Amino acid sequence: MPTVEDDRVSRRRYQREQRARAEAEELLENKSRELFLANQKLSEYSGHLETAVLERTTELRQALVQAEAASAVRTRFVATMSHEIRTPLGGMLGMIDLLEMDEDNPEKLEFLKNARISGQALSRIVNDVLDFSKMEAGVFVFEDEGVDIRALIGSVIAMAGANLISEGRMIESKVDLSVPPLFFGDATRIRQVISNLVSNAVNYSTDGIITVCAKSTPHAKGILLRVEVQDFGIGIDKEQLGNLFKDFSQISNSLTAAARGTGLGLAISKRIVEGCGGAIGVDSTPGFGSTFWFEIPAEVLATPQIVEAEHTLDEEFAETFSLKGTRVLLAEDNAINQKLLLTYLDRMGVEAVLAENGRIAVEKFEPGLFDLILMDVAMPEMDGLEATGLIRKSADLKDIPPVIVLTAHVMDAIQEEASVVGVDTVLCKPIPFRELKAAMIKTLGRSLMFEPVHEEASVPAVETLVKAAPRNVTALMSGPMAEDLLLMFSQEDLSQLVSKYVADGQETLTKISEAHGLGQAANLRENAHYLKGSSLLMGFNRVAALCTEVEDNAVDISASRMLGIGQEMSDLFSEILDHV
Amino acid sequence: MKGTVFVELLKMAEDAFGEDVVDSVLDKADLENDGAYTSVGNYSCAELMKVVEAFSEHSGLSPEVLQRKFGNWMHEHFAQNFPEFYKDKDGSFDMLEALDGEIHVEVRKLYPEAELPRFTTNRKSDNHLEMVYSSPRPLVGFCHGLIEACTANFGETAEIERGETEAEDNCTTFQIKVTS
Repeated sequence: MPTVEDDRVSRRRYQREQRARAEAEELLENKSRELFLANQKLSEYSGHLETAVLERTTELRQALVQAEAASAVRTRFVATMSHEIRTPLGGMLGMIDLLEMDEDNPEKLEFLKNARISGQALSRIVNDVLDFSKMEAGVFVFEDEGVDIRALIGSVIAMAGANLISEGRMIESKVDLSVPPLFFGDATRIRQVISNLVSNAVNYSTDGIITVCAKSTPHAKGILLRVEVQDFGIGIDKEQLGNLFKDFSQISNSLTAAARGTGLGLAISKRIVEGCGGAIGVDSTPGFGSTFWFEIPAEVLATPQIVEAEHTLDEEFAETFSLKGTRVLLAEDNAINQKLLLTYLDRMGVEAVLAENGRIAVEKFEPGLFDLILMDVAMPEMDGLEATGLIRKSADLKDIPPVIVLTAHVMDAIQEEASVVGVDTVLCKPIPFRELKAAMIKTLGRSLMFEPVHEEASVPAVETLVKAAPRNVTALMSGPMAEDLLLMFSQEDLSQLVSKYVADGQETLTKISEAHGLGQAANLRENAHYLKGSSLLMGFNRVAALCTEVEDNAVDISASRMLGIGQEMSDLFSEILDHV
Repeated sequence: MKGTVFVELLKMAEDAFGEDVVDSVLDKADLENDGAYTSVGNYSCAELMKVVEAFSEHSGLSPEVLQRKFGNWMHEHFAQNFPEFYKDKDGSFDMLEALDGEIHVEVRKLYPEAELPRFTTNRKSDNHLEMVYSSPRPLVGFCHGLIEACTANFGETAEIERGETEAEDNCTTFQIKVTS
């Protein structure tokens, strides 16, 4: 052992420490490398994950697109099929109606009635399927219009009640005073829901009264309308309540055999009500009956005088009334429309006096001479609104008959002005026969005769006309108008009318081109509107659409677009003539 | 075997016998890396046995005694360097019971490949703990020394007995009885 403290360490000790240090450093480096590699692996893994997620997302998106496409194809197929079924069905029902009119043999009448009931049932089913496929496809559009719930419930009950009276059953309506006379909503759809609920109540009960109640409570949007349909039928078990509003579901029981349908009614009703922002439900006690109800929020409509006639009075309801002997002043400048409307009026048994424009209408008007005035809006010399104003000033208001305005304008554009001059009802072209008649009945609204259907429709041998009619040209027309025209006119008459329309249209088209060339916007607009009116009434919707485009853009439509429109219209006219 | 054990063993030897003695003992012992150990390294347990053997020969103390002394030394090292493990422990039993469940868990976070002994404890009464030690290495004496130091660290006096028969190699049951 050294006697003196020595701070220095031996060479071997130093070398040993160096060696230990080198080992430690190597270990450290290895550890660092391992960490780096581990980190790299993690990053790679995370990258892989992101790629995998992206790939999977792409795959899913593709699958979704494919599924949606498949669904759209299916829906389109159903819609097309429904339409294809509906068209011949409509024809059959029409034929049955015509046969019923001419038939006196009670036995055959009974057969025809049964055929009609079956046809109507089938028609309902097809309509349900069509509605449903529209909803599936997301093309089910709600409209906003004035709804008169009292008239609406009345017409539903009138329809359903006709079949029940013979069974000694009753349907009654209780509309609370809190319900406003008019509110915004989709009358057709609301009617469909009520009709569905009433028809269910009828099908699922054998006796007892059926009650339709409506009341309203304040709501942020205006009012919350609640409609209830109560029956004292078989009722529904608790377990079945949940499935009730599902697609294609039906409560099965001894009565189901009697209850027809697709099981879509409530599913469609639910979608309609929810589409209107409302709710639908049912309270039921088995053995005691059910109360189906729905609630929808609605905005109250303040000006009640202008409504679309078709929605306040059911078309079929209108058929039970006669307008025979009603005296009507018709102001219409378009020759085609004159012919068409006069034929309509003649079929209704109406005594019509024609005025070729607003000024002539004012001249021909005398207090006590007419029960109703039908007034076109856009006419030369004096338009329909001005004429209406003048007529109303010319005599005591009590001697002024109600006025129905017929227009190809968009409803909103004219509504306010029309209400100022005292128009009772505004109808938008195209106006099918029954819609016009319903509006006239509604507007007259007094001393109406109740007559059996077949006495009123006294057009001779309509079925032969339909057979002989030039089907080709009607194929170019929109559905409802074509149907009307086929019923109204003989082949010669219709050919003549169409030819006249084309000649008139070609002339007007020349005027349109000239007006555009001279930069006369007002003139251009006037002529386009004129042609639009007759095109709508004839059901040539594409021509009407082109006219609308010109009318709306009269000031700044480009020369090239004008040329294109002119060309397309010419082509359309040629096509129509080819089919006559 | 973790390098820190070797490093601490040589420190204890230096403390007891001086650097020169350690140097010459290491020189004489036939060691794989001539005794150049780092605490972050890993070395075979046989090497540790050789070092213990060499110092035993030099000092005349039995390997068993040396292991127990080293256990005491090592505990001192732990107590100074890892005081956080002692913070919430009231006595040696608490500490011994926490070896597997707490301390070895922390060791594995730093050295996932470490081969650790297992300690199974069974508290017979308030002052009697039975602990079964089992290890791949013949370090029973070392373990005994650690337990001794642990009880002393908490100011306790304890009797520590080893089971007479051992169920397997390097497995011992300690009966630890705290007397005051």
